[in-house]
Amino acid sequence: MSRRLLTGNAAAAWGARLARIDYAPAFPITPQTEILEALGGWIEAGELDAKLVLLESEHSMIAAAGAAAATGVRVFTATSSQGLLYGMEMVFTVSGWRAPFVLVNVSRGLATPITLEPDHTDVLAARDSGFLQIHCATSQEVLDSVLLAYRFGEDPRVRLPVIVNLDGFHLSFTREPVEIPTPEAVDAFLPPFDAGAVRFRASHPVSQAVAVLGSGPYSYFRYETHLAAQGALCVYDEAAAAFARACGREWPAVEAYRCDDAELAFFLIGSLATRARDAVDRLREAGVRAGLVRPRLLRPYPAAAIARALEGVLAVAVVDQNLSMGKGGVLHAELASALWGAPGAPRALVSFIGGLGGRSVTLEEFREMAEIALRAGREGRTPPPRLLYTAEELREVRKLQAIAHGERAALATEGRS
Amino acid sequence: MSETRFQRMNDLPSTHLLGGGTAMCAGCGGLQALQLVYDVLGAKTLFVNAAGCMTLLSIYPFTPFRGSWLYTAMACAPAGAQGARDALDLLVAKGRMPKQEDLSVVVLAGDGASYGMGLSSTSAAIDRGLDFLYVCYDNEGYGNTGQQASPATPPGARTATDGSASGVARPKKDLFGLWVANRPTYVATASGAEPLDLARKVEKAASLRGPRLLLVHAPCPTGWGFEPAEMAEIGRLAVASGVWPLKEWERDTGRVIHTKVRRPRLPVEEYLSRQGRFRHLFEPARNEPVLADIQSGVDAYWDAAG
Amino acid sequence: MFRIRFHGRGGQGIKLGARALGSAFFAEGFEVQDAPRYGAERRGAPIAAYVRAGRAPIHERGPIREADLVVVADESLIPVATAGVLEGIAPASVLLVNGLTSAETWRERLRLRGPIATLPPAPASAGAPPAGSACAGAAARLVGAISRAALEGALREEVAPLGARAVEASVALALHAFDLMAPHAGSVVEGEAPRLAALPSPNWIDLPRELPDVAAPDVFASATSVEVRTGLWRTARPVLDPDRCHRCSWICSSFCPDGAISAGAEGLPAFDYDHCKGCLVCVAVCPSHAIRAVAEADAEGPREAAR
Repeated sequence: MSRRLLTGNAAAAWGARLARIDYAPAFPITPQTEILEALGGWIEAGELDAKLVLLESEHSMIAAAGAAAATGVRVFTATSSQGLLYGMEMVFTVSGWRAPFVLVNVSRGLATPITLEPDHTDVLAARDSGFLQIHCATSQEVLDSVLLAYRFGEDPRVRLPVIVNLDGFHLSFTREPVEIPTPEAVDAFLPPFDAGAVRFRASHPVSQAVAVLGSGPYSYFRYETHLAAQGALCVYDEAAAAFARACGREWPAVEAYRCDDAELAFFLIGSLATRARDAVDRLREAGVRAGLVRPRLLRPYPAAAIARALEGVLAVAVVDQNLSMGKGGVLHAELASALWGAPGAPRALVSFIGGLGGRSVTLEEFREMAEIALRAGREGRTPPPRLLYTAEELREVRKLQAIAHGERAALATEGRS
Repeated sequence: MSETRFQRMNDLPSTHLLGGGTAMCAGCGGLQALQLVYDVLGAKTLFVNAAGCMTLLSIYPFTPFRGSWLYTAMACAPAGAQGARDALDLLVAKGRMPKQEDLSVVVLAGDGASYGMGLSSTSAAIDRGLDFLYVCYDNEGYGNTGQQASPATPPGARTATDGSASGVARPKKDLFGLWVANRPTYVATASGAEPLDLARKVEKAASLRGPRLLLVHAPCPTGWGFEPAEMAEIGRLAVASGVWPLKEWERDTGRVIHTKVRRPRLPVEEYLSRQGRFRHLFEPARNEPVLADIQSGVDAYWDAAG
Repeated sequence: MFRIRFHGRGGQGIKLGARALGSAFFAEGFEVQDAPRYGAERRGAPIAAYVRAGRAPIHERGPIREADLVVVADESLIPVATAGVLEGIAPASVLLVNGLTSAETWRERLRLRGPIATLPPAPASAGAPPAGSACAGAAARLVGAISRAALEGALREEVAPLGARAVEASVALALHAFDLMAPHAGSVVEGEAPRLAALPSPNWIDLPRELPDVAAPDVFASATSVEVRTGLWRTARPVLDPDRCHRCSWICSSFCPDGAISAGAEGLPAFDYDHCKGCLVCVAVCPSHAIRAVAEADAEGPREAAR
């Protein structure tokens, strides 16, 4: 085991390397491209016995990934943002093939307007697809999660593709110390992919992903994929326990940080969690019994573990780094449905939209969110959702708008003269 | 073609690999061609399918194939073929699968996918030199949805989306030429109405490696408006009138060879007048300008072909 | 509310017939709902269509299980289990059969107690599939709530896209069938709304989680499609005259789209009637005219081989 400074992207590539992937269909998109470049370099140098193929689009990339997994090899791929959406037809399609592979998504906000900065609206667009989702807070977690993803996604009880998500820039380009497990430890944890009967061989004809007529077979196959995804919860727990034995790190489905006696909990995913832990520590110093609940798994949704972590908590501040147009934060809506009617559920779930397009959430904003949520819990009145957006930010936008409109006005004037 | 095992008509297979009982229409020209394609390729074939009529060949739990099949989506069957081909090669190279378990990978797609939505993934598969055979059954329209115009619909044809007096007003896209321009290994047109020519081309395509196209004319009684029993005759007339040239191109020679040339050619009218999709060119009155345009388009092709 | 179910084969104008009946009801001031069964219909394959009509707004949707009138545009479909012609026929349901077999024969054969009307098949006409129009006309008379004029107007509206000749042919067929059904006019009785208490339990189960080799839409066998008897699509079959056959062994077999002709050791072609869809390409291509088309009703031997 060695400790190195790795970006989130490099950690993802290391995960793939240690998993001894066979095949990596790829397509470049910022901020993910580094991952495939690292893999390409290792293959070139003979350090990784795999084939990397550059496709012409993410739609094709995911089709190739699914077809290769359906043929029985271990597949790794990566994308981001617009790429994930371009491939979305195949994201929904290949999960029904029950073709397990790992797709690293480097989260980035979606157009329009086009941006390079991170948020989670891209990966949440895939939440109903049948892909399982692991959301990472650190580079270490990215590496370990790739290995965990293969282990539980390939399990014959599951056999579903898995998205391992990391935030663009905040993780993808940020170096931090990462323990790289030894190949021996990983090999002991992760057996080679056994495709069983679902693969293409000349001696065993199989027609995969055929059409159905009628709702009976359709409902059956779709619901079976759902049952497999739900069943993946306990398979994940087994895998996480095995990983802890092999590599010494614990990755529960839900991280509960200082929640035991918490009155107030933040609820969020991704790399914002490390900042939230910091906020929890500061709030505790200030006498507020604060905690953090962070689902690492979002699909399957670990509802029971989340409810357990929030049991006895008075108020929850949900920080959504995503936006469902016309509804609001996706995590907030899902949490509300998971907690409705649960014994000991929090009295208030307050929705905050933060982190859109890479916006950071400051310490004072965490303090403010805690106060608002606690007040809502005590008074039993929940305020409407709040966008984390300051007067200064709007002032800056007004300046930009002035230029945008001023130029048009000036041109119009020239046109008239 | 001296090395072909298809010297005479009765060298053609008289029993067939593909199972009966499929949902294709009675008299489907595409299915008739696929029978022969499959007989020559053999069961050690993985068909990677794009959305189209033939997606309904396999409806759970029924499949006509004795080998393998994977349905992908409309736009990306060549990418699915890439993943499967690469995986099979990796398994053999890494000693995890005996060579005799290998399959040849064949994309099966209609003209909607082949001329339109799937063109990007097709072009890229050729760029990468993917070892695959692409079989396009060209029924000249989006047949499975009721025959709307595709880029393969010929000029003058009336479709569900071209109800004007003279039908489709632009030429049929030259998919053969597009493939040749991409410089794959082998590109051929064929017709089920000329089974010996088709069998030889499948045989040749199967003997080569790299990207290969077999573009097969697929008369469609439902979409084109003729009695199912006339399917073979419609196919024959397409060739005899020169509307559907039978040709092939190999990268090694770099030349287009016409494999069967009918001289003199029949007037295109003999082909057109048998089909409902062209009936408006004859009834209630003959549309001479459009008929002349279609004839001169065919004549110009053959004049250029020499 | 009237609940009317049409059965026919792809290409017989069933969807058109159901729409014409729906439009005729609508013209008579009824609330109407009509729909074809959605699926991968092919020429000759069994298909269905549904018409509901009532004086109050219609809230039911989807397939009609218990019909007040079942219209069978092709009598050869009745014995075809997968066509579901006899599904949900109650003692009061009227059965209308387009075919030559008599009502008495059907009553005996099917052991039905309800009224049965038969309609002699009309000859093929210009541009319009005849069965759909004739069945619409007959059904209109059987329900008794539709006038001749409303029927004609509906036909003119629905057939118009097929051209003027088709319109005239369809109207003539429909009106002729309407007149033929005079003895049975108004024999269809509107069904009642279902009583909640009389309905059975839905019999739900908890779907078990199963492993992917069974729980994915994959087929782990060869050529299972032969289980599908597309021979049922056929209205005419190819029959070989062995004396005229040149035993060339490839022409009919190579041109059969369904691989339903194979040549034996003697070079004589054998037809797989289980799967032959009756396209008759083989009849057209045989150089010695050794294959002729025989209407299925006149053919010897079963439509499909015995299981």
